[in-house]
Amino acid sequence: MLEIRDLRVKLAEEDKPILNGVSLKVPKGEVHAIMGPNGSGKSTLAYVLAGRDGYEVTGGQVLWNGEDLLAMEPDERATKGVFLAFQYPMEIPGVATLTFLRTALNAVLRKRGQKELTTPEFMKRVREEAGRLGIPDDILKRPINVGFSGGEKKRMEILQMAILQPSLSVLDETDSGLDIDAVRVVSDGVNRLRSKDRAMLLITHYQRLLQYIVPDKVHVLADGRIQRTGGKELAQELEETGYAGFRGNALATA
Amino acid sequence: MTLAVTKTKAEQALSHNFEAVAAKLPGGAAVAAARKAAIGAFAALGLPHRRIEQWKYTDLRTALKEALPPSLREAATPRQHEIDTGLGPLAALDCHRVVFVDGGHIPSLSGKSPSAAVAIGSLAAALADGAGDGLGKREVAGQDAVIALNTAYMTDGAIVRIAAGATLDKPLLLVFARSAKEGRLVTTRNVIEVGAGARATVIEAHLGLAGAASGQANTLSAVTVGDRAHIAHVVCAMAGDASTHLATTLATLGEEAVYRAFQLTVATGLARNTMAVTFAGEGAKLDISGCFLGRSTQHIDTTLVVDHAVPGCESRELFKGVLTDRARGVFQGKVIVRPYAQKSDGKQMAQALMLSEDAEFNSKPELEIHADDVVCGHGSTAAEIDENLLFYMRSRGIPLGEARAMLIESFIGEAIDKIEDEALREALADVARARLAELSGARP
Repeated sequence: MLEIRDLRVKLAEEDKPILNGVSLKVPKGEVHAIMGPNGSGKSTLAYVLAGRDGYEVTGGQVLWNGEDLLAMEPDERATKGVFLAFQYPMEIPGVATLTFLRTALNAVLRKRGQKELTTPEFMKRVREEAGRLGIPDDILKRPINVGFSGGEKKRMEILQMAILQPSLSVLDETDSGLDIDAVRVVSDGVNRLRSKDRAMLLITHYQRLLQYIVPDKVHVLADGRIQRTGGKELAQELEETGYAGFRGNALATA
Repeated sequence: MTLAVTKTKAEQALSHNFEAVAAKLPGGAAVAAARKAAIGAFAALGLPHRRIEQWKYTDLRTALKEALPPSLREAATPRQHEIDTGLGPLAALDCHRVVFVDGGHIPSLSGKSPSAAVAIGSLAAALADGAGDGLGKREVAGQDAVIALNTAYMTDGAIVRIAAGATLDKPLLLVFARSAKEGRLVTTRNVIEVGAGARATVIEAHLGLAGAASGQANTLSAVTVGDRAHIAHVVCAMAGDASTHLATTLATLGEEAVYRAFQLTVATGLARNTMAVTFAGEGAKLDISGCFLGRSTQHIDTTLVVDHAVPGCESRELFKGVLTDRARGVFQGKVIVRPYAQKSDGKQMAQALMLSEDAEFNSKPELEIHADDVVCGHGSTAAEIDENLLFYMRSRGIPLGEARAMLIESFIGEAIDKIEDEALREALADVARARLAELSGARP
């Protein structure tokens, strides 16, 4: 289970609070959506869970299966099953996609005390998953994400997720910039990973993605706090009313 | 007006040591006279210092605290496996090998000339024959003192002549190994002549054998590439962490010749690689690339002078440096386009990856363009490892050290990929990788 307790975060470089006491629980087997307006702290939450520099946790706790997630280095978190699908995946010149995938998978397997895959085993697995996501073979030989289209980058994130088989997936605006067909392919990829052993956190501005990946719960994040929690119908409601009602602390407890 | 400049201890020793060894250096009366004239010229010039533009960032006069005694090959001949160990990943390459130890040719460790069309000999023997080999006029602005010392002290080197139209069936590996237990000055000179339409790959490896003391080296290679000839000239300098390595490469390219030079410099205390290339025939192509990997207080200087003396030639330069601790990298790239040399096309790029705050990279492009219909460009960057990329890789479970190594390797990979011969490219990548592992260790 992912348990976030009263998490408070500010930018490391300036005294600007971004998260002002976020609390939520995502049990294994559940998919939760975090929705909120721009600037509400959604991406910050995703980055803090993955361990990116540049943020300072000023209070609160994040427990993953009872362990203190915030005390771990980013690669250690990955070993523990945490995966962040980036809103803006990074381009790495000179590192072939296959090399990247294989290095990551082997590092994680090694740390988990599992056997690394042989080249044929690895290739079979990548080809299978890539095929499902409609990722052509030649792209796998190119430097990762370099010159990929927005849609290709997002598919590549899901491919990485499928290969690494994380137990906690945080997907940050995974549908942004995707046309409707791509949203379907990507959503199918995410849904294939849904299982009783996995928890997922979908971060999204729009409810569109949630038509394809139906969440168990929806949380509204605004002004750095969870303002409201509800079932999947809350997403639809937000689509109609917008986030205006959640801006400003005066409305926070309304 | 004569300006009296106090000579440094090293300058005095360099002049003084010559008297002691002059009689033992190879060559007849003409060679002896040339040596004497050269040491006289050096005495007037002194060691190059920072007020000489070409040595602005590499003040040899200050850096060279002492001049080591010239090598007279007093050490025992090493065994083949010792050479192989020193060569590291290069040892496995399928090559014609010519070995020099402490500046002297070792026939027992060297192969024979591979065919009648390819003559490989020793400079010492040629000098003794009085043929005048290796004594051609060698001039590059700012480099005169170093070349004068080379002329005065040169003991041996390779003379390679590839006949017109001939193809060297496999690369020629020239090994310059240091074995002396005491620090020595080793001075070598190579003459490489590739006939019209001939093809060859020549590798120079400068290394220290296990147990050898740090030393000083002054090496010069004079390369003539004939019309339509194609040569790959790869230099791997791994002379030893506290060694001084002064290397001069002078090349002249004929019509439609192709010269692909690569320089990998690792594990050298102070390295100055000067490469001067002159286009003598139209339509020739030059590609000079390289990597320099420095740590501790190492200082690695790459100075290129490309002279577009005739029209229609193309030059490409790409250097990648990785610097950590207090290491310093220098890149000086001069491109001259003569008034008549229209349609010249020159591009230059020098990039350094800085792994520590105290590392330093000085880059000085110099375009001297006297023609109007030319395409010339240059660029230079010094940057740290991109933290965003590191985070992305780590978020996938790749440990910090491994992520850093991958990013550094991909950074220099662009330059190493310029080496066309696959086995050679892989061997040099291995040399670099081994060095990078020492440079980029995981830092929490």
